[in-house]
Amino acid sequence: MAAPASERHRPSFQLGPQRVVQMDGDQLVRVGARPGLIRYIRNIWAFRHFLQYDAHARTSSQNNLDSLGRFWMVMNPLLQAAVYFFIFGYILETHRGIVNFIGYLIIGVLTFRFIQGAVVSASNSIAGNQQVVQAFNFPRACLPISSAVRELFATVPTFVVMAVLVYFIGDYQIADMERANITLDWKWLMFFPAIFLGLMVMTGLGLILARVVANYNDVKHLISIGTRLWFYASAVIFSVDRFADRGHDWIITVMYYNPAFCILDIIRDAWLYDGVGEPFRWAVLGGWAVGAMVIGMIIFWRGEETYGRER
Amino acid sequence: MSTPTSPYTPRRANWPARNGNAGESLDLDPEVFDDGFGFNEIEEIAWDDHPLTQNAPQVETVDPEKVSVAVDSASKIYRIRSGSEHKNSTKRIGRHLQRALGSGWSEIPALDELSFVVNRGETVGVIGTNGSGKSTLMKLLTGKIRPTSGEVFATSTPVMLGVNAALVREISGRENIKLGCLAMGLSPKEAQKKFDMIVEISGLQDALDRPLKAYSSGMASRLQFAIATSVDPDILLIDEALNTGDAQFRSRTKKRLDEVRAQAGCVFLVSHSLGTIKQMCTRVIWIEQGRMLADGDPEWVCAQYQEYTDHKSNGRMRAAQIVYDRTQLKLSPIQVEFIDGTRPTKAG
Repeated sequence: MAAPASERHRPSFQLGPQRVVQMDGDQLVRVGARPGLIRYIRNIWAFRHFLQYDAHARTSSQNNLDSLGRFWMVMNPLLQAAVYFFIFGYILETHRGIVNFIGYLIIGVLTFRFIQGAVVSASNSIAGNQQVVQAFNFPRACLPISSAVRELFATVPTFVVMAVLVYFIGDYQIADMERANITLDWKWLMFFPAIFLGLMVMTGLGLILARVVANYNDVKHLISIGTRLWFYASAVIFSVDRFADRGHDWIITVMYYNPAFCILDIIRDAWLYDGVGEPFRWAVLGGWAVGAMVIGMIIFWRGEETYGRER
Repeated sequence: MSTPTSPYTPRRANWPARNGNAGESLDLDPEVFDDGFGFNEIEEIAWDDHPLTQNAPQVETVDPEKVSVAVDSASKIYRIRSGSEHKNSTKRIGRHLQRALGSGWSEIPALDELSFVVNRGETVGVIGTNGSGKSTLMKLLTGKIRPTSGEVFATSTPVMLGVNAALVREISGRENIKLGCLAMGLSPKEAQKKFDMIVEISGLQDALDRPLKAYSSGMASRLQFAIATSVDPDILLIDEALNTGDAQFRSRTKKRLDEVRAQAGCVFLVSHSLGTIKQMCTRVIWIEQGRMLADGDPEWVCAQYQEYTDHKSNGRMRAAQIVYDRTQLKLSPIQVEFIDGTRPTKAG
């Protein structure tokens, strides 16, 4: 092992002659240097097959250890929705003032699960994949992006379940719940752009968090607290109007600018209330998607050379 | 003299002690001692002809077309999280705090500053005992970690070919091959083309569809190695790869390795087998205790290394130290300089 830093010195002697090698460095590149942003993005594009295959392979092997296998991809969200319904709808009665509460709750819980999963797995993607990072030379942004995409792949069965449930029992009434008819039409397709924009927001946030977690592992603990807070700030299990009644107007403002709330609100509007989503929601969500992606990419790219180090 | 790290001090007058300021004992102005110290009888050393003074280094200019890799005083100190670091901490409050938190940074110096230049067409062997910093040097060369100081330059990003390619335990061998190929930047078509070759080299035809966790460790490392050989890099690093697997596997890989080596511009070979090194390399770098000890003719360097390890393994520490010092004395360290304004900054 080399001498500790404090005792470092140039060797005090050498018998061979000291030589200086002069050269023209035009042909050379610095190994491991971070490329320019445009080039970086182009590199990511070149690695798109890796990204997609990685997401696919890991999704399909996710439930390998369970005897029921991929059945859990469907079962898990169902059970979760049932628990939330029992506690918040039935016992705590948060459903007051919400039309089609069952559908409202199902969409909220299942979609937010995807949002949370994508951010959390993207933020862990560098710290948790050191082996891959050190073994291969690819643009590191592939990992957070692939994690977010993987989460989307893994949630596809959930979304199918969600659509089926909402269509068949979304307007079911228990006791005094209000109801409006749910009809299947083209407006349901609004789901896709909303989720796509949502995925962009998640990826952008994930890129930022991935860099932070790679440098400061401690942040991981804060992320789980943060997503919990986010959960309650996104009107997943109750309606925004509850706050309006009590004069907490600032909470409503926060919610209106919250991308997760925008996603939920657009999907609910399209599936439950026969609308296409308020333009303001689309604008906020679009702004978040572009902003998070650009800022996240720049922040992540600037740390490109730091991700491979030993921790 | 400051505290010497080795118990051995060279006896000859013109051999300064290894550590600390040798000059303190030797470099004193002889005139001060002229009376009564008997210094007149000692043969005077012509300091200025002596490279020891390092006043006038020889300047060489190398042909930029020929340079393949240039390492400019790169060093590496690992800084890792450690739960027992408080034991070494010197500050009192800091020590208690670290102890309570069970967290702290531990600095592990792995590689002293070293510089060398490798030309196209050279095959460079890297030898050294375990923990001497060979693998760190390889990681620096591939750019997977950044040197703490100094920089590494190359005509293209060197590719490491070894047994450390990452595999995903949950998915099958077949999927791992494809994933590995894509991770190295091959297109799906190229990956498809390489697939058969990888399977053949790894010899795992029967186990392809099993998940990787069902593989034995030997099978997994064969697969890793086979995946790694699927690229044709210009600058190739081979880390211990020749020593993996059974005889059958080794003979299979040899052919592929020769192919890859033949088309590579420049090869680094890390191995503990001196036979392989002497047979394949045109130049050998010996790294010991994080320091470059020798850089030159394979026969000579390997002989020194052999002697050193012989002494070490028989517990003759002082003899080993003599070999160490003697070898380092012969080293003529280089310093890399770039003609004004041509220091590369762009990425590879």
